[in-house]
Amino acid sequence: MQKYISQQNLNTLLDKLIAKGTRVVAPRMNAGIPLYEPLESSAKMVTDQLPRRSAKEAFFPVCEEIMSYEKEGQQVKLTDVDPARFPETVLVGVRPCDAAAIPVLDAVFSWDYKDEFFLERRRKTTVIGLACTTADDACFCTAVGLSPAETRGSDLFLTPLDGGGYACESYSEKGEALIADNGELFSEPDNSMPLPLAVPQADKVDLKKVKRWLDEHFEDPLWDGIAVRCVGCGACAFVCPACHCFDIVDEGTEKAGKRRKSWDACGFWKFTHHASGHNPRDLQPKRYRNRIMHKFKYYDDKFGQTLCTGCGRCVRICPVGIDIAAIVDEINKK
Amino acid sequence: MSTRVPDTSIYFAVTEGIRAEANRLLSAGEVTAIVGYTTGRRTGSSQPIIVTDADDTARLCFSVTSVNNLAVYLTKAKKEIPKNGKIGIVVKGCDLKALVGLMGESQLKREELYLIGVPCVGVLASTVQPSTELTAETIAPKCRECDAHLPSGCDFLPDVALPPLPQLDGKYTAEIARLEALTPAERWVYWKEQFAKCIKCYACRQVCPFCFCEQCLCDRNKPQMVDTTPRPSGNTAWHIVRAMHLAGRCAGCAECERVCPMDIPLNLLNRKMAKELKELFDYEAGLEVNDKGPLTMFTEKDDQSFIK
Repeated sequence: MQKYISQQNLNTLLDKLIAKGTRVVAPRMNAGIPLYEPLESSAKMVTDQLPRRSAKEAFFPVCEEIMSYEKEGQQVKLTDVDPARFPETVLVGVRPCDAAAIPVLDAVFSWDYKDEFFLERRRKTTVIGLACTTADDACFCTAVGLSPAETRGSDLFLTPLDGGGYACESYSEKGEALIADNGELFSEPDNSMPLPLAVPQADKVDLKKVKRWLDEHFEDPLWDGIAVRCVGCGACAFVCPACHCFDIVDEGTEKAGKRRKSWDACGFWKFTHHASGHNPRDLQPKRYRNRIMHKFKYYDDKFGQTLCTGCGRCVRICPVGIDIAAIVDEINKK
Repeated sequence: MSTRVPDTSIYFAVTEGIRAEANRLLSAGEVTAIVGYTTGRRTGSSQPIIVTDADDTARLCFSVTSVNNLAVYLTKAKKEIPKNGKIGIVVKGCDLKALVGLMGESQLKREELYLIGVPCVGVLASTVQPSTELTAETIAPKCRECDAHLPSGCDFLPDVALPPLPQLDGKYTAEIARLEALTPAERWVYWKEQFAKCIKCYACRQVCPFCFCEQCLCDRNKPQMVDTTPRPSGNTAWHIVRAMHLAGRCAGCAECERVCPMDIPLNLLNRKMAKELKELFDYEAGLEVNDKGPLTMFTEKDDQSFIK
């Protein structure tokens, strides 16, 4: 069902949702950088820049409390966090590379263990994707089989039109419901043409071929060649829309404190540091190899998907210029 | 004589000079490896490379995106780089200050290094695309206040004359003055907002030549000294620990600030510390090899006015 919504009506829709108490998360500026964060007004939405971090934090925050404890004498009181308190959310202005990562995350968070924190937020969120009209030479969604008009992961998908406003297509019941509940703001499509989409320069890679090579090259000089310069920070994993490793720590005092879950990264030396002192990934190339293996082999082995949507954030921010698109392209050409 | 835009045409000759010298060194067996820069896939980009074969020296380059301080690869934090024999390293003037500091801290020996100096007119800011031209607007903030365009005391310097350099106003100087003029409460609001963006990726720590501790205090959990989660308490503690531990050591390569994916202006903290050190002890890091910094020794001339 294709509809049309003007920019003004989209703003009205978001303001109406905010007034109703819905958490509306969209790209906005925060202390100088664009991030997906809650809006207090639709006027704060900024859609012309790719947010510095991905949209995953709408479901999987940088850090969240999962339990608290209090100790009095011999009594210890544990209090769970109740996911029922998570607010109804509309996540809007989501880039296709970020939206496409959401079903990828669904797979791991609903696998053998059902992560209620992720799943409850996911259940309560409607995702409104937005087609990309600009790309830079770090963008490579086209290499991993996606595109600037990819609708995977979106409940509603907006395509900017040359005459202003958006073509709006629904891809789920949540999307249908949002249109139905706000019918007065949508109209039938007119003759406007979509604005030209972004054209990422990356050629499509054969992901099955890349995986076959990885199946057989756990040991390979490639890893040293690439990753000897890796400095072992977590920036690539933290800006990634699909990376989902986390750590759990207790913070507080003997008397009271909280158990918190926060993002972790396979680039950190501590990531696989055993209590014995042994570290199976003792050097950086082994850690970087895991990053590539997890994205293009292990995740495919387990879930039949690739753990990379080509957003290019890691390429842009890597302090030492490690370029995952170039690496996958190199493997593809082997 | 000054110009408005830095003239980067010397970087072609600098690249040629680096390649020829690296080739000679590796062919003659004078060094076991050269740490330098090479081009990346993205237009205009460059990145660190470790070359061990003379045949690969044609891959070396120097350009406006050769931003990294390569000194980090010579520290014990980078176990992947074999430290056997003499190692050649491409250094800008700002990077050399870090090497000097590391020598003072007994982390490196001068005789184990072969310094390939770079006459540098500036590199690009991290906030622009690598294909961008170097101008007064796109130049890295640290280069605006650079006093080391020509590294001194190197073993090799390409035979290239520095062109006239533009006089650019100092952004750090101006921003520090602005922050100093605020009340403590207003400054606290500013830094709280900045630290709130921190996601604890530790890119700032990992690229810092002086963060060579084998186990960072902030990674310890027995006992837990600093909250590890990216929240206000742990973030603030981490950035204060970082600033204080670098005081009197940091020579201002600004790598921490360049790599921060959240654009936290970390070098402001470092420059402020350096300013304090200059005022209190007339000390500047990175100028000469000193085995004791002002914060690791006592002299009778030290300011004692804080003792009440």
